[in-house]
Amino acid sequence: MAIKTEPLVVNIGPQHPSTHGVFRMRVTLDGERIIDAEMIVGYLHRSMEKLAEERTWTQNIPFTDRMDYLAAMTGNLSYCIAVERLAGIEVPERAQYLRVIFAELQRIASHAMANGTFVNDCGAWQTPLFYMFREREKVLDLFEMTCGARLTLNYMRIGGVAFDLPDEFLPQLRSLLDELPDRFGEYEDLLIDNEILLMRSRGIGVLSPELAMNASMSGPMLRGSGIVWDIRKADPYCVYDRMDFDIPVGHTGDCYDRFVVRMEELRQSVRIIEQAVEQLPPGSHLADVPLNLRPPKGEIYSRIESPKGELGFYLVSDGGPEPYRFHVRSPSLLNLSALREMVVGQTVADAIVTLGSIDINVGEVDR
Amino acid sequence: MPLLANWYDLRDLGNGVARLIEALRDAGAPDGLIYAITGLLGAVAILLFVGLAAIINIWIERRLIARIQVRRGPNRVGPFGLLQPVADALKLIQKEALQPNNADGIVFTLAPIVIFIPVILAFAVLPWGEQMVLADLNVGVLYLLALGSTTPIILFMAGYASNNKYALLGSMRVIAMLISYELPMVMALLGVVTFAGTMQMSGIVDFQQTHWSWLIFFQPLAFLIFLLGGTAELNRTPADIAEAESEIIAGFHIEYSGMKFGLFYAAELVNAVAMSGIIATLFLGGWWAFGLEQWVPGWLIFISKIYAVYFILIWFRGTLPRFRIDQLMAFAWKFLLPLAIINVFVVALEVLLWREYELSAGVVLPVAAVVNFALAGVLIAGWARVMGQAFERAPKKPRLFSEIEVPLPDEAAPEAGSGQTEPATV
Amino acid sequence: MVIAFWALAALTVSSAAMIIVVRNLLHAVLFLILSFVGVAGLYITMSADFVAVAQVLIYAGAISVLMIFAVMLTPQSSRDNAGNFLQAPAFVLSGLMIAAVTLVAVETDWREAEDASFIVDGTATAIGDALVSPFVLPFEIASVVLVAAMIGAIVLVRED
Repeated sequence: MAIKTEPLVVNIGPQHPSTHGVFRMRVTLDGERIIDAEMIVGYLHRSMEKLAEERTWTQNIPFTDRMDYLAAMTGNLSYCIAVERLAGIEVPERAQYLRVIFAELQRIASHAMANGTFVNDCGAWQTPLFYMFREREKVLDLFEMTCGARLTLNYMRIGGVAFDLPDEFLPQLRSLLDELPDRFGEYEDLLIDNEILLMRSRGIGVLSPELAMNASMSGPMLRGSGIVWDIRKADPYCVYDRMDFDIPVGHTGDCYDRFVVRMEELRQSVRIIEQAVEQLPPGSHLADVPLNLRPPKGEIYSRIESPKGELGFYLVSDGGPEPYRFHVRSPSLLNLSALREMVVGQTVADAIVTLGSIDINVGEVDR
Repeated sequence: MPLLANWYDLRDLGNGVARLIEALRDAGAPDGLIYAITGLLGAVAILLFVGLAAIINIWIERRLIARIQVRRGPNRVGPFGLLQPVADALKLIQKEALQPNNADGIVFTLAPIVIFIPVILAFAVLPWGEQMVLADLNVGVLYLLALGSTTPIILFMAGYASNNKYALLGSMRVIAMLISYELPMVMALLGVVTFAGTMQMSGIVDFQQTHWSWLIFFQPLAFLIFLLGGTAELNRTPADIAEAESEIIAGFHIEYSGMKFGLFYAAELVNAVAMSGIIATLFLGGWWAFGLEQWVPGWLIFISKIYAVYFILIWFRGTLPRFRIDQLMAFAWKFLLPLAIINVFVVALEVLLWREYELSAGVVLPVAAVVNFALAGVLIAGWARVMGQAFERAPKKPRLFSEIEVPLPDEAAPEAGSGQTEPATV
Repeated sequence: MVIAFWALAALTVSSAAMIIVVRNLLHAVLFLILSFVGVAGLYITMSADFVAVAQVLIYAGAISVLMIFAVMLTPQSSRDNAGNFLQAPAFVLSGLMIAAVTLVAVETDWREAEDASFIVDGTATAIGDALVSPFVLPFEIASVVLVAAMIGAIVLVRED
C-alpha cells in the first residue's frame, strides 16, 4: 500500500544562513529526502572578468581580493604569478618567501573559517566557529600589521609584495606559530571524536575519486576523496619546492574526510611557515617593474593551490596596457559542480552539511 | 506536617498565605472567596517569577554561551549588560509584526500566545516549599506529561499557519520528534513514580525527604533519559531539529517577527525553566536539600537547583552539534526507550521485593542505589556497543603523503589540469 | 462549580459545532482539540482528575496529532470540506442522531452521586487497583488488541 505524497519544491537560498553567501539550491523534497536538486549561481556576479579588460594589469589586483574574500592573499598571488610569468618578471627571493608565508597564513585563516562554518552547519551552535575565529583573528591582525587591511588585502604586487615586514611582525608570528599547534589539538580533542559530528558527517556527501576527477575538483575536495594532488607539490610556484610538508589525504571522500583533511592542512601550513621564516633571506621585497606594464603578446595559464583548490588565471595579452582576456578558473565554482550528485538521496540536513564541507565562497563562484 | 510558623517566616512563603486563610476564615469569608484569593496570590507569584526568569534567563543564557564561545557577551546595557533583555524586548516591540501573504491569520496570531498556556500551567504543580504548591494534584506527574503533549500541536499551529515550506518542515519535524521523545520520558518517569509510590509532586519530594536522599541516586538512568528527552522537548541542541537554524533557518517560527517572535523566544526560555524545575523536583529533591532548608529558604534552594539544571542545558547548547532527524528518532526508539523499559522492570522488581518482604528502607535503598548505578553504567555502555556504528572504528586521521606518487604532468603538455592524476589506492 | 460546568459545556459544545461549520480541515482539527480540552475540564468538575489528565494526554496530545498527520498527508485538493451530494442525507441522519441522543439523555433516570464534594485522595489509585484486580482480563485484552493494531500498522506501511 503506497501512501501518495506530494513532492515539495524548496529554495535553499539565496538568503539562507548556511549557503555561505547568495548561493541558491532548488531542491525537490519527498518528505525530508531530496529527490532532485538544482544549483543556481549568479547572484553575486560582478562581471569582474569583463571589467578587468578595461583596467591595467596592476589595477586588476584588487579584483582578485574580492573574488575569494576569505582568501584574498592567494587570489592576489595567483594573479601576480600569472602576470609575472606572462611578462617574464623575476621576483626577488625575499618576496617569494614573504608570499609563501602570507599564502599559508591565509590558508590557516580560510581553513579555520571553513571548518568552523562546517561544524556550524552540522548544528553546533556557533561555538566551534568562534574558536576558529579566535585564530583567524590573530592571522588577520598580522595582515593588518603588514598591509593595513584585514579582508581585502591587496598586498601582492606584480614583481613582489607591496610592503616589507614591520619590525614587530616576526615576534608576533613566532608566538602565534608556537600557539597554533596546541589550539589545533584543542579543536581536534573537541571535534574529531565527537560522536554527533561523526554521525552527521561520516558517509555523508561521498564523492568518489572518479567523480572528483571527472568534475575537475581540486583542493581539499579532491584530497578528501583519496587523490594525492597538490599544486604546491605538482607544479611548485614561489619557493614551495624548498619546503618540506605533507599532503593529507582522506579515505572515503565523505564530509568528515574533507573536514579532517583541512584540519591536517592547518598543521602543515604551520610547518611551512616555520620553515619559510627560518629561511627568510634579506633583500628587496619588490622587483623593479615598470608602472605602465605591457607584457608581450601571448597567453598564459598559471595556477596555484588556494585554500579552496586550484586557482588558475588564464590571461591573454595583446601587448597593450590592459589584459585582452582575463579568465579565472575558480575552485569554488568547479567544486560545486558535483553537488547535485552528492546531495540527491540525502536529507535536507545532510545537504547542508555537504554544502558546508565543500567550502564555497560565492564571491569566487560568481566573480 | 505544616510548620505552624509566623507569617514572616521566609523559609516558606506558604506560611503567610496560611495565616491569611486563617484570618479570612475567622472573618467569616466564604470558602469560594478564600479559594479565589489564595489561588490568585499563588498565580501572581508564579507569573512574577516566570516573567522575571524569562528576562534574567536571556541574560544568563547569552552570557554563558558567550563564555563558552570565548566571547564576552552582552556587557554594554546597564551593569554587566543586565539590561540587555530589556533592550531586546524594546527592540522587538518596535518591530513591525509582519504577517505573510496567505497566512492563516487567526492561527498565526494565536500560536505565540497559546504556547504560553502549557508552559505556565506546568509551574502550578511544582512545589516551591513545604506549603508552596499552587495545585498539589494527585496526578502531578501525569499532568506535566499531558501539558507536554500539547506543545507539538501549538508549534504545528505556528508552522502551518505561516504558509512557509521551511515552517512546515519544522513543524512536521517537531511533531515527529516530540511524539517519539514522549515515550522514553513517560517510561523514565514511570520508574520514578513506581519508586516513590506516588504521582504527586509534593509526595515525591516528601519521599526523598523521608528517605534522606535524592531520587537521582536511585534512578540515574531515568534521570539521564529524562534529561535527554527534556532537551528534545525543549527544542534545544543537540535536538533542535525543529528550529535548526543552519538547515531550515528557524523552523516553525521563521515567519514570526517582532514581539510574536519574542513570545516564542520567551516561551522557550520559560519552558526550559519549567523543565529544569521538573527535573529538580523529581530527581534532585525539590526544595529539600539534606537539612539545608532549615537555614536557607526552600524556594531559594529550589531556584538554585533549577538554575543548576538550566546550566546543564545551556552547556549542551554551547557544546554539541545537532542530530539529523532520523538519528534523533533512532536515538529515542532504539536507545532511550529500551533502556527506559528495562529501568521500569528493574524498579518494579526492587519495589516489589521491598514491599513484599517488608525490608527496612535503610537496607533496600543503598542496595538499590548501587544496583541501579551499576546497571545504568552497564546498560548504557553495553547498549551503546550493541547499537554502535561502524564509523566509530573507521580511521579518523588522514593519510599523509610527502610526495605525489603519480608522474608529474609533462612540462610540454599544453593543458596541465588536475584531472590528469591517477587515483591513489583507496 | 456550576459556573465552571456551564462555561466548559458551552466551550465544548460550541467548538464541537465549529468543527462541522469551518471549511478548513486543519481549523476543524484545532477546534476538535479545544473540544477535547473542554471535556477534560468537565471531568475535573466531576473530580475525575486521572481521567481528565488522561483525556488531555491521549486525546488532545496524541490522537489530534494523528489527525494532523492524516490531514497533512492528504493532497491539498481533497483537503477542505467541499459540498457534495451526500449533504442532504447526512443532514437528515445527523438530525435523527441528535434527536435520539437528546431523548436518551432526557429520558434516562440518571444515578446521581449524593456527595458532590471533591475526592481528596484522587482517583488514580482506585483506577490502578481496579485495572489490575477486577478488570485485569479486559485490560490485558485491550493491550493485546492494541499490539495487534500496532503490528498491523507496521505491516501495512512496510516497504517491500
